Amino acid sequence: MTAPAVSAPSPTASPPPHPSRPAPLTRLRRQLPRLGALLFLAGIGYLVVAPLVGLQRLAFENDTRGYSTAFDDPDMAKTLWTTAGLALGSLAIALVLGTFLAWAATRLPRRLRLLRVLPVLPIVIPAVASVTGWAFLFSPRPGYLNAALRRLPWWNHLQEGPVDIYTLPWIVLITGFGLTAFVYLFVSAGFGNINAELIEAAQVNGSSAAGVFFRVTLPLLRPTLVYGGFVALLLGLGQFTGPLLLGRSNGIDVLTTDMYVAVSQSPVDYGRAAAIGSPLLLFGIAVVLFQKVILGDHSRFVTHGGKAFRSGGRPSWVAVAGIVLYALVALALPLAALTVVSLSAFWSGRIDPDGFTLGNFRRVFQESGITDAIVNSLTTSVISVAIALPLGFVAASLLLKGRRFRIIRAAVDFIVAMPLGIPAVVFGAGFLLTYSREPFILYGTRTVIVLVYVTLMLPFATRMQLSGMVALGDTYLEASRTSGAGALRTNTEIVLPLLRPTLAGAAALMFVLLTHEFTASLLVRAPTTQVMGTILFDYWSNGSYPLVAAIALVMTLVTSAGVFVAMAVAGSDIFEKL
Amino acid sequence: MSHVRIDGLTKRFAGKPPAVAVDNLSLEIEPGEFIVLLGPSGCGKTTTLRCLAGLETPDEGRISLGDRTVLDLREKVDLPPNKRNIGMVFQSYALWPHMTVRRNIGYPLRTRRVPREEARVRIEEAALLVDCAALLDRYPAQLSGGQQQRVALARGLAARPDLVLFDEPLSNLDARLRDQVRAQLHELHARLGFTAVFVTHDQSEALALGDRLAIMKAGRIEQLDTPERVFEEPATEYVAGFIGMSNRIALRRAGEGWTVADGAAVTGDLPVPRAHAEVAVRLRPDDLLLRPAEEEPPAQGVGLAAEVVDAQFGGRHMDVVVTIADSRLHARAPLTGAPWARKLARGQRVTAWFAKDTALYYDADGVRTAAHAPAAVRA
Repeated sequence: MTAPAVSAPSPTASPPPHPSRPAPLTRLRRQLPRLGALLFLAGIGYLVVAPLVGLQRLAFENDTRGYSTAFDDPDMAKTLWTTAGLALGSLAIALVLGTFLAWAATRLPRRLRLLRVLPVLPIVIPAVASVTGWAFLFSPRPGYLNAALRRLPWWNHLQEGPVDIYTLPWIVLITGFGLTAFVYLFVSAGFGNINAELIEAAQVNGSSAAGVFFRVTLPLLRPTLVYGGFVALLLGLGQFTGPLLLGRSNGIDVLTTDMYVAVSQSPVDYGRAAAIGSPLLLFGIAVVLFQKVILGDHSRFVTHGGKAFRSGGRPSWVAVAGIVLYALVALALPLAALTVVSLSAFWSGRIDPDGFTLGNFRRVFQESGITDAIVNSLTTSVISVAIALPLGFVAASLLLKGRRFRIIRAAVDFIVAMPLGIPAVVFGAGFLLTYSREPFILYGTRTVIVLVYVTLMLPFATRMQLSGMVALGDTYLEASRTSGAGALRTNTEIVLPLLRPTLAGAAALMFVLLTHEFTASLLVRAPTTQVMGTILFDYWSNGSYPLVAAIALVMTLVTSAGVFVAMAVAGSDIFEKL
Repeated sequence: MSHVRIDGLTKRFAGKPPAVAVDNLSLEIEPGEFIVLLGPSGCGKTTTLRCLAGLETPDEGRISLGDRTVLDLREKVDLPPNKRNIGMVFQSYALWPHMTVRRNIGYPLRTRRVPREEARVRIEEAALLVDCAALLDRYPAQLSGGQQQRVALARGLAARPDLVLFDEPLSNLDARLRDQVRAQLHELHARLGFTAVFVTHDQSEALALGDRLAIMKAGRIEQLDTPERVFEEPATEYVAGFIGMSNRIALRRAGEGWTVADGAAVTGDLPVPRAHAEVAVRLRPDDLLLRPAEEEPPAQGVGLAAEVVDAQFGGRHMDVVVTIADSRLHARAPLTGAPWARKLARGQRVTAWFAKDTALYYDADGVRTAAHAPAAVRA
């Protein structure tokens, strides 16, 4: 730079005599936070990126052999169309239903406010459970509702049907039902952010109820709908359970099921699997990047004051009927089917209450394979939540306050979002590949399941804690710092206690998602290391349907129990925090 | 209590072009002094306060509290807030909702490792000081706004910090409470004698509380003086406008007398040196008076032709908006002994006048013109 430090005094006015100054921080001390941030980035970077890179390396090996075998396949075009059709079709259903339900939830009479929870509940039912439940209802021959429909005069000549659950339109419909709960959560949160006065102003200025909805409410919800829509689209593209359980036997393939086949049936072909997953990978990354560019800085979304959203009008019975009907169809029907099958000795189109038995449940708790799977699910989920929460806390703190480390922060932001954009099936395949070889041979251990689970939960752990921190604002923290507390005390005495509801909500959501987890688990499991979802799939493949139904119900109960525990800890409105 | 010294503080915020929030600001604060930073929003007063607290890192400058340098960017010293031994009171109170009042007030004592028994006594002392002794076991959500701000005050003072910072602490309170808490704060300072920096945009708050006021404009201190001097002798036109002399009349010299912008002549001469051809006259609304159009102003007065825009009844006087040469001014017409003023109506022509020594005169650069009687003589 300029003159060395020992040279003559600078020509500017001699500095005024200043009191003694403490020794400047050493270089190392000052760089310590940066080093920590860098180490954190390296850790989560390896976790998330290494499996994806490993897959791509294989796909490009030997002159991109993986890509050529995958995309020279004449069935590939059909698979791509089916994937897109499934994603867009289920997205459309979920957007319409989810928005309607969110609107309906704001128009409930005061006495029935609790009904708001109903549209979220399908999340508590594992996808494998509800898909098998639907199969029990609408399987062409023994499906209960099909059998009932065949009693109607105009269908009584049919031997099977009229509904065939194993066809694309029905897979789309069921997937759409599954995504509805997510859209509902997003849109409900969006409604919550609309200032009631904006709605009232529109009414005062002469808009009808419908006018308010279409001219004010919907435009205000547009950012929410776009964001929620993209998330639902990504989830739709990554759909695995429905197509695998319902579509495989009829030759309805999507990219995810193709990928699963490539790594689960011999000869195992990772290169081909990686290539099949690439469209999903690229689309996921594109959406994540798009969202980062569009949404940019989180601090802009701090909202203060204003009246919370109040329903723009009188309670509506259409709203009540809509929510109840949805709950009946999406919740009660599949659960009822599961219950009936689980109590029967075998599955046929007839319901025989006299033959009901608890034998299936007894078997669930007697067969060591199943009990081991239940224990595995619970332990891996709890351990993963316990790891993901602190990781998410660090990531969220870094995103919110790490303005000094611009590049590290941007990288963390991106890496943490990737597991949301990229389907679990791709991660599952990547982890299977990465941890079945040097330097980490973990195949068949619970460790690899925990690693996948932590990776998949990173976006949720980070985003939920981030929004909690954003809502908390800076003042409480500044008050603590100016009261003489260091960063550690501020975090333990101020931030964590104030974030407790957020933490409990995040833990509950992650526990639910993990005990349900089926897709990535199916890829990394070993015959000796199973979780609830995978063991259910094995019995489904064997055709032991009553046992499948019993396992599905047990899974549902376990998750519900977890949610209730978390609710007791959080002591409040977890579902609103979701 | 300690001497505070700020040297060449500069803070820029990123942007195109970068905004200079604080511009090479220097300030010395005596031990026990109550300094008020006063200015409109965006003048850099809060940024200066946050740099003092260590919540914001400036781009240049040096700050020392007592005998400790807490910030010296050339030496790469920038102590975090918790190492500066300060107290701070926030606009939004910032009481932690999960702690009782007792734990809130005790927090700065715990961070300073004050022994438990002593802390208990000091918490109760602090609570007594602000009349909150009965609230110690409540949670902040159970308190009213005024109570919350008094608790926040107790928390800021509990550890007897070297410096107490106030970030517009009264502006979230309603008018009556604001006066109460203000009086209490003034009394506390007189009793305890802590060193304080207080940020506000409210001039009456500043006048009431400050030992000295620093009126800020665009990141610089425009005038630093006692409340009396700032009020009576604003050094620049900006300060005069901010401190309540909201009426501005631009006058131009014409021969022996003066004219307004549209050329109409003014009755009477101004106490302004001959060198100035143009001046801006600054007046409080109370000091611009009205007479019927046909009457001349009194002997020491300066008169101008004005037209009434609106008149409101104000008890013993009328508050009148008039235009003089297209600029709007606020005037006051006493009603005692002048019943004509009751019937002031829009469009009516009147004579507006002011006593020469109630007005201040500023040159084209906004600097006070030299020759006129010091304000002290007036009183």
